[in-house]
Amino acid sequence: MSESEILDTHLQELRRGTIVLACLRLLETPGYGYGLLEELGERGFPTDANTLYPLLRRLEKQGFLTSEWNTDESRPRKFYRTSDAGTRLAAALTDEFRAIATAIDTLPEEN
Amino acid sequence: MTTATLTDRYVDTAMRTVPEAQRADLAAELRASIDDQIEARTEQGEPRDAAERAVLTELGDPDKLAAQYTDRPLWLVGPRYFLDWWRLLKLLLYIVPACAAFGVSLAMVLAGASFGEIIGALVPLLISVVVHLGFWTTLVFVILERTGHDTMDAGPWTPDSLPEPRQKGVGLGDMIASLVFLAIMVGVVLWDLFVGFVPTEPGLSFLDPGLWPWWILALFAVMALEAVLAVVVYAIGRWTVGLAVANGILNLVVAVPALWLLFDGRLINPAFFSTIIPGDGAEVGQIISIIAGFVIAGVAIWDTVDASLKAVRAQRA
Repeated sequence: MSESEILDTHLQELRRGTIVLACLRLLETPGYGYGLLEELGERGFPTDANTLYPLLRRLEKQGFLTSEWNTDESRPRKFYRTSDAGTRLAAALTDEFRAIATAIDTLPEEN
Repeated sequence: MTTATLTDRYVDTAMRTVPEAQRADLAAELRASIDDQIEARTEQGEPRDAAERAVLTELGDPDKLAAQYTDRPLWLVGPRYFLDWWRLLKLLLYIVPACAAFGVSLAMVLAGASFGEIIGALVPLLISVVVHLGFWTTLVFVILERTGHDTMDAGPWTPDSLPEPRQKGVGLGDMIASLVFLAIMVGVVLWDLFVGFVPTEPGLSFLDPGLWPWWILALFAVMALEAVLAVVVYAIGRWTVGLAVANGILNLVVAVPALWLLFDGRLINPAFFSTIIPGDGAEVGQIISIIAGFVIAGVAIWDTVDASLKAVRAQRA
């Protein structure tokens, strides 16, 4: 494995949990799979489709998201929305992320 | 006639492994997502065929995607069970093939099979035992993995379950045990030859009386050397390679003549079984001879291997 591949793996590991956080926060306004994928990318959370779609299902199964089919448009889409439990989880994750960021700031400088 | 598009085929393939109840919903959502993605690409001027191909390539193997949707493990035995599986398999591989080989060869010798026949039977037996152990043990864990049972452990790991450090030195207890064992053996042999163990037949010995005095005295001489060896091992404090070799030679010196005498019919008193079991005595004697042969060889091999392992371990430490 080359150095850049190892770097990619580490970055991916570090980002993994933040996708959940971003999804929960963004889906306070209902959204569907592809639309969310785009928005995540625009907001600096690049995600693969094959990671995001199963993730939405899992969060729904765990009760952090609710879903409903929207058939108003020509293409029926499944819209997800953050549940109350999801909002609480998002708040907890955000607090945790800030705590980690603060902790990182207090680490010794690299040079 | 309409031909199925790549997307149709992709969704169908992914849904094959999804439970019936979720299938319709998941298929519709997956299809809508794929169509959205294709549309986004065609709007940028990409041809539809190429866009479809690119989107599906990005989504990857449909079976993998379906497994992620349904939280199915993509491994045979995952990290949760791996250590239990590996420990159990190793334990079984240490015990079962050796027991099977010993039992089958003993039974075949008793049935009068030749050496070649026994080897011919043992090789496929050992191969099939190892394959069966591997297969069935793994199958059980694959089922455990998929039904989500807890491990068979009684509880979580605690430092108490750490293995005791392996004894590297040789203690006083080992030496005393060796010496006491040798002394008891001398007593047993003498009692057998001069008193006999069968109360109703005083003077009837299990060992051939013709072994007395020279063979028996030679045995005692070797046993005296073994006693010296036990003392030396204790004095040095551990088994060395040289001591292990000496131990192996002493074992050979006892086992080889004993086996030779045994199969020559001169180790066990021929009168012993015919006296205590009139009629079938000869056959019983034959069977006991074979078992005695296995025991003599087994003890010699085990003792030699044991001392060698201790010597290797002590050297590494």
